[in-house]
Amino acid sequence: MQWWCAARGTAWTWSWQAYPGVWLLVFALGAAYWRAARGWGPAGGSRGRPGWFVAGLIGLWIALDWPIGALGAGYLASVHMLQFVLIGLVVPPLLLLGIPPGEPELRHRAPRRLARIATQPLVALILFNVVIVITHLPSVVDTLMASQLGSFAVDMAWLAAGIAFWWPVVLDRPERPGFGHPLKVGYLILATIVNTGTFLYLTFSELPVYATFELAPPVYGISARDDQRVAGLLMKVGTAVVLWTAISILFYLWYRSEEDRDSTGAAG
Amino acid sequence: MRNFATEFGLPARLTTLLLAIAALLLIAPAQGCGDGSGDGSGWNDAASGFRGVALEPGPRPDFTLTDTGGRPFDFRRETDGKVALLFFGYTHCPDVCPVQIAGIAAVLRDLPWEIRDRIQVVFVTTDPARDTPDRLRDWLSEFDPAFVGLRGGIEEINRIQAGLDLPPSVRLDAPPVEGDSYEVGHAAQVLAFAPDGRMRLAYPFGTRQADWKHDLPRLAAAKTRPGS
Repeated sequence: MQWWCAARGTAWTWSWQAYPGVWLLVFALGAAYWRAARGWGPAGGSRGRPGWFVAGLIGLWIALDWPIGALGAGYLASVHMLQFVLIGLVVPPLLLLGIPPGEPELRHRAPRRLARIATQPLVALILFNVVIVITHLPSVVDTLMASQLGSFAVDMAWLAAGIAFWWPVVLDRPERPGFGHPLKVGYLILATIVNTGTFLYLTFSELPVYATFELAPPVYGISARDDQRVAGLLMKVGTAVVLWTAISILFYLWYRSEEDRDSTGAAG
Repeated sequence: MRNFATEFGLPARLTTLLLAIAALLLIAPAQGCGDGSGDGSGWNDAASGFRGVALEPGPRPDFTLTDTGGRPFDFRRETDGKVALLFFGYTHCPDVCPVQIAGIAAVLRDLPWEIRDRIQVVFVTTDPARDTPDRLRDWLSEFDPAFVGLRGGIEEINRIQAGLDLPPSVRLDAPPVEGDSYEVGHAAQVLAFAPDGRMRLAYPFGTRQADWKHDLPRLAAAKTRPGS
């Protein structure tokens, strides 16, 4: 039984394939959220917070399950990159938005310490980009995508790094009063730049760099080089769309907070 | 002035170190990965300098089949003095054949004309029942219109393959299939004949475009006759 999408070397078919490992993961995340939400205060779970988390779960399921998961694991580099954009950039902020303000309290020392270190903005930014670089190295891709466990590891690395990356932007735990909207905007702008190396490498390489996708059974005659170029562009454009959307929202929130402060000051 | 490190809650030295690491990330992908092939194909013949598998040198096979225009194609005569890449496959092949042919075609497109002109790709169908001349011509033209497609009786084709120490092509009807949706088991390697007609290399499935790019110009530059 195939629990997780991995490169199989068989011809692509539009026949539905079951990947129960994906369903288990999505269910486990949903169950963990539901259990945690029961322990949140009166504001927990209200004002559409579960909606964000469910949206994140749906995005995660779409990215991991057939057909996107299967195509991205073993057939098309462009779909593999679409998976990265979804799992690393789109899903994490949605999941984090499902957590109400002031949560998680992280009562225990070890997770509190881990969260404090991994979600330090500079640490999170570097961690996220180290994961991008490593998980896009040809030797890593060709080794890990060939097995279900390896493919699972790549997907979870993207998800974990994405959560760490978005944590200081979306959540206020642990508190960082100095990391306000201006610095958050700068943080995201910096993130739009640092994946440039990988983008350039994929888009402008003369030859296909991933054996996994170069030697995969063709899908609708798409050439390996064209597929790789689309992957590079998708990485750059997809990342830019997500990050600049977040930057725009932060600018708006910043503007609103300044207006509110001015109004309060004028009234006082 | 705001203290950048303080806003991120880190000591200044650690911040500097982390920023240096971040700068390295910008150039790391371009430096660490070569041309994507390395020696990963596992077929490197150090003595010959080629990445294909060196075979016991033998004469260019002597056979005549019919091309997609209905004309006889004498393989030895038509490819004399050129690099000949000979492959046995079929157009309904879901994996090996399109990948091998596409890889060669992609590399040939980028080679200078004077090199490309010295290389002849010959595709012999192992499924003459379904690979009609028109189908074979259309399929090959998707990769490169210059590729030659040959047809013949399956017994003749298997005899030719036997002469090249290749396994015979076998129709695979399991699992039970309907109509013409069967697969054909066949040899997956491309055989390369140098311009002198004697040197032979084999390129198994898994040969990367980087390997073709490395070997084809060298093959094309080989002498046509000893001493020439």
